[in-house]
Amino acid sequence: MTDREFVQELRAIVGKANVLDGSVDLQLYQYDGFLEERRPDAVAFVHSTEEVAKVVQVCNRHGRPFVPRGGGTNLTGGTIPFKGGVVIEMIRMNRILEVDTASLWARVQPGMFNLEFGNALAPLGYQFMPDPASQKASSLGGNVAENAGGPHCFKFGVTTNHILGLTVVLPDGSVAHLGGTAPDPAGYDLTGLFVGSEGTFGICTELVAKIARLPEGLKTLLAIYDDIEAGSKTVTAIVAAGMIPATLEMMDQLVIQAVEASIHCGLPLDCATVLLIEVDGLKDDLELQAKAIEDICMAHGAREVRVAKDDAERALLWAGRRGAFGAVARLAPSFLVCDGTVPRTALPEALRKVAEVALKYDLRIPNVFHAGDGNLHPLILFDWRDADQKARVIKAGMEILGLCAALGGTISGEHGVGLEKMDAMRLVLSEADIEAQRRVKRTFDPDNLANPGKMFPQPEEVASAQ
Amino acid sequence: MHSDLNGLRGQLEAIVGGAQVLEGAARTAAFAVDGILPELVVRPGTQQEVAQVVAACARVGAAMIPWGEGTAIGLGNPPARAQVVVQMGRLNRMVEWDPANLTVTAEAGMRLADLQETVARSGAILPLDPPSDHKVSLGGLVAANQNGPSRLRYGTVRDWLLGLRVVLPDGQPIHCGGRVIKNVSGYDMNKLFIRSLGTLGIITEVTFKLLPMPAQWAGAIGLFPGLDGPRAAVRETLASFLLPESIDLLNPEAVELLAPALTLAPAPGSWGLAVALAGSPETVARQARDFAALFQAHGGTLVPVLPGQTGRTWKAVRNLLDAAQPDNPARILCKITVPIARTSDLVASASEQGRFGGLRAAVMAYAGSGVIWALYLPAMGALPGASTAAALEALRAEAVAAGGSLEIHGAPPPLKRQVDAWGAGDSGLAMMRRLKQEFDPRGVCNPGRFVGGI
Repeated sequence: MTDREFVQELRAIVGKANVLDGSVDLQLYQYDGFLEERRPDAVAFVHSTEEVAKVVQVCNRHGRPFVPRGGGTNLTGGTIPFKGGVVIEMIRMNRILEVDTASLWARVQPGMFNLEFGNALAPLGYQFMPDPASQKASSLGGNVAENAGGPHCFKFGVTTNHILGLTVVLPDGSVAHLGGTAPDPAGYDLTGLFVGSEGTFGICTELVAKIARLPEGLKTLLAIYDDIEAGSKTVTAIVAAGMIPATLEMMDQLVIQAVEASIHCGLPLDCATVLLIEVDGLKDDLELQAKAIEDICMAHGAREVRVAKDDAERALLWAGRRGAFGAVARLAPSFLVCDGTVPRTALPEALRKVAEVALKYDLRIPNVFHAGDGNLHPLILFDWRDADQKARVIKAGMEILGLCAALGGTISGEHGVGLEKMDAMRLVLSEADIEAQRRVKRTFDPDNLANPGKMFPQPEEVASAQ
Repeated sequence: MHSDLNGLRGQLEAIVGGAQVLEGAARTAAFAVDGILPELVVRPGTQQEVAQVVAACARVGAAMIPWGEGTAIGLGNPPARAQVVVQMGRLNRMVEWDPANLTVTAEAGMRLADLQETVARSGAILPLDPPSDHKVSLGGLVAANQNGPSRLRYGTVRDWLLGLRVVLPDGQPIHCGGRVIKNVSGYDMNKLFIRSLGTLGIITEVTFKLLPMPAQWAGAIGLFPGLDGPRAAVRETLASFLLPESIDLLNPEAVELLAPALTLAPAPGSWGLAVALAGSPETVARQARDFAALFQAHGGTLVPVLPGQTGRTWKAVRNLLDAAQPDNPARILCKITVPIARTSDLVASASEQGRFGGLRAAVMAYAGSGVIWALYLPAMGALPGASTAAALEALRAEAVAAGGSLEIHGAPPPLKRQVDAWGAGDSGLAMMRRLKQEFDPRGVCNPGRFVGGI
């Protein structure tokens, strides 16, 4: 079958205007937030579970791969059509279908942006907990596929902890309803298995999300340090004092300077690091909690602790944190985000070693990260036009993942494996562990059509021959 | 004994030592599953021995049933085959306890209570409170997904489990997850094994994240003349800012069961609400006030649970149904799940005596979570009639219509042969069967007990 005939079949399902196959159009769908690029054969905009199922059935019939895409904010190449085929663009499936505040769930389509969902729930007094920093532009379906995290995940858990059920189109084009609106459905936890499968088990076309009451109150603090190690030791001290703040975020000097240049949120340019700490819950003890945290910060060498006086000040501090990745673009044309995670107490050592990697490869590596989770985000700056620099960046990134693994951590906290970390899987998993994962993949997708070429390292003999 | 198993016994003895292989009805009787005696009970002492035992059983196609403390052994259908019970009690060691990072790793045969006691000494809690929590093993906790009242505040096993070691049905050990609190390095393989009831392998080690211990616990029990008061109180609680650990709704039979342990003196026919609180003294005091007012507003009589009484009180509440006539072979224990707002409706339905031929049920619900437990206690030696099966099916139909399910967690084997323990399952069942086929093509791991005959 020619590409032309294949595209005709897709058009028959979703409508002529909803399939792109022109060269310029396709270029727009060949990249995401990672460094690789691969052009799809076609892009299909879908509007319903039935359309997704039919498109997948056509792909099946012709042995063409397919890759779902939402906001395209993925940082590891998860949305890049590595083996060509069809990009299934979910972004028009962006409605809330039903909200049941009495049973604390909402049924929503996967193309809706995370922040839009939050903004729709807030007037009702409810929220969806996962809040990736990209929430303005990342879709709920993408959050499910990547098991996304975010600042509030320290206290409230990641996406998988907030999904009750999924409607999915499996790689054979059949539709399955996993879980639902009641807890503990019988059988294997296919919903839990599907979350974080990076589009390799099929496509989520509807989700039942748990929602929660907005908290009665919150307090936001900014602790400012002249020494980055003091900042990271504070993180452990706060938890040791029996407190689980809603967020515990950290930014280093390079990031602060970039954020200030672009957002002007009043961060001191001369400090080594800041911790952005928020406590929430019943209002009765928030003042006391904030005071206790302030005391711990000061006892661990903070030079100043600011408490946001009102919502406007709080919003400004958060705008700085949420805008950090964007602001860092001021420092260099490109950056690679590492996503290694370490046990919280290993943070000071991990940060020291990341700085050593920067020296070794002659690269600048600012840090902005979820300190409470031990989830680092070293941003390795470079110029994509410089091939030598790019090669050093890839080596430095791998070395950072290696040091996280060696400190008892792992290679990805929330961004996923995608194309970026396939070979790094061996840093934390044995061949038997990886083979068990391959068996699950084979079970869901025996013909390897759902987002192929991702997640798994090359077979060991191939890897060692290189 | 089957001739293949004769050879197996020798192999198992070579792995674990002769004293750790039990044979003969007198020695295996304590390990009957739905009335079926295993031919052998083997007690491995290390994770490596578990792998060797599983490999040896797999080679001869002997069906294995993993057994921790047996607290959830009543869950599921009667086994299709039951040659070897793999008893995990000797794997009861702490592997790594990291107070600063609030993570803990232990062997799967360790009792939850022992782990909780150890971490509590360093000011940490694992906030899981399943029934029989004095006894339940960590592996059983995960494999049977056993959760308790405080799931309202803290969630369930899947929210606290960071990592697992599992021996697959062919004897291959694997590791899932890790010991960091966020981890997307590959698929979330932990989820494959939580609530898989030993059908995909045997869990040998678990890693959990923990919480700092709350400064204070307290609570309140409200006694109400009918169901309307507690129903409204639960609805208002969930719509409020209040963050209790748990809200348990008890029908009059459950209140009667609870009364002696707590020296309550309920008026006949009283319904109960038990609310557990934890946190700073300020938030506990405020919530105690708010719940007192809420109970009174809905016609309830308040029985405060003071900070010094909480341990005993909540232990009595969460173990209420498991502790009632545990040796009565006719007892029937069901778990019903529905969307949260439908909980009270199903509590009412499960309590209807007429439906069960006059059989009274003690019903307790995790009212903010959509989970209802119903315990039916026929007279000792009574055989369940067709009417009991029909009544259970009708109750299941109501739960399914509401979007939920009904599971049988314990029943006499004749009843289990009339009523499936799980119900029909959802549209994921075909994929579940394929997963089972991929990982256990010979059906040696707990065959027949799970959903859809898996």
